[in-house]
Amino acid sequence: MNLEDFENRVLPAKHKLYRFAFRLLGSREEAKDVVQDVMIKVWYGRDLAEVQNMEAWCMRITKNLSLDRLRSRQRKGTHSLENSAEVQQDELTPHEKTEQNESMKRIDQLMATLPDKQRQVMHLRDVEGYSYNEIGEILELDMNQVKVNLFRARNAVREKLIKLNAYGL
Amino acid sequence: MDSERIETLLEKYWNAETSLEEENELYLFFQTCPASEKWNEAAELFRYLHNEKKKTMQDPFFDQAVTKQTGQRPKGKTIRMRNGFQIMRIAAGILVMVAAVYLIGMEVRKNSPQAGADTETDPQRAFEETKKALLMISRNFNKAQQEVGKINLLNEAEQKIRNKPTTPEQEIKD
Repeated sequence: MNLEDFENRVLPAKHKLYRFAFRLLGSREEAKDVVQDVMIKVWYGRDLAEVQNMEAWCMRITKNLSLDRLRSRQRKGTHSLENSAEVQQDELTPHEKTEQNESMKRIDQLMATLPDKQRQVMHLRDVEGYSYNEIGEILELDMNQVKVNLFRARNAVREKLIKLNAYGL
Repeated sequence: MDSERIETLLEKYWNAETSLEEENELYLFFQTCPASEKWNEAAELFRYLHNEKKKTMQDPFFDQAVTKQTGQRPKGKTIRMRNGFQIMRIAAGILVMVAAVYLIGMEVRKNSPQAGADTETDPQRAFEETKKALLMISRNFNKAQQEVGKINLLNEAEQKIRNKPTTPEQEIKD
């Protein structure tokens, strides 16, 4: 892969990779580090000619590197997967804090409470707009698992929103 | 867009049965139309998704940092040395080893006697010495043969005892 190819095929995906890493890690700095690592890994990686969908491939590396970081965090005991929502909230800039209304915060928290696979599938489908095949490729799941996880994730969010709106719970 | 269509699409959406095009249709609808009480949850969710899609990495120097790193070294396997001092240490180690092997080799060669060198200068004397040595070997060889002859005698005696005919009593038993 030459530099021009890299700049046209890999670098433009940085925002998508960043959003996905941020969804998994809940930390801006760490998400940025992961994206940088992904870029370097792809650049020095071999057999890239065989990669059909470069963006999906980068997303897959992002997922793996983010999960490695989460595992390392858990080993060190500094963070846990469960409190990622709070981390996300704490790390908002003052400008974002004022812009983001209560409703957005609530859904962010709801999304953070979803099981990992459901959260990842819903993000890739509803935020990034990937097809079921691409999601399967990124998360290493079959089509059925993708659909089941998406169904459960959307319904969990819907039910929680209904409860919140009805009873303020 | 009529509300029936939205209703149908939303039903499909919650059941994870919508295509990307249909999801885009819903997305655009909730972006342009104010939310009604009826689709409150969906409106809230699509507003959230719209916000999420807009999030970007806020680092103007990111591309520069990455391309700088990718341009730093050529593709392929590279071996990194921390500094020149480390290289010098390794080179010095190798030099000491080579020098030690060479000097020890020289010393060993100097001390060991030369195997194929001649010890006599006069050919006639050398012939006499060789003859003497061969005669001595021959003499000793003959002496050893006599000793072996005695052992042969013992062997023959043993064979005779073994081949002794059996007694009539033993024959009856058999």
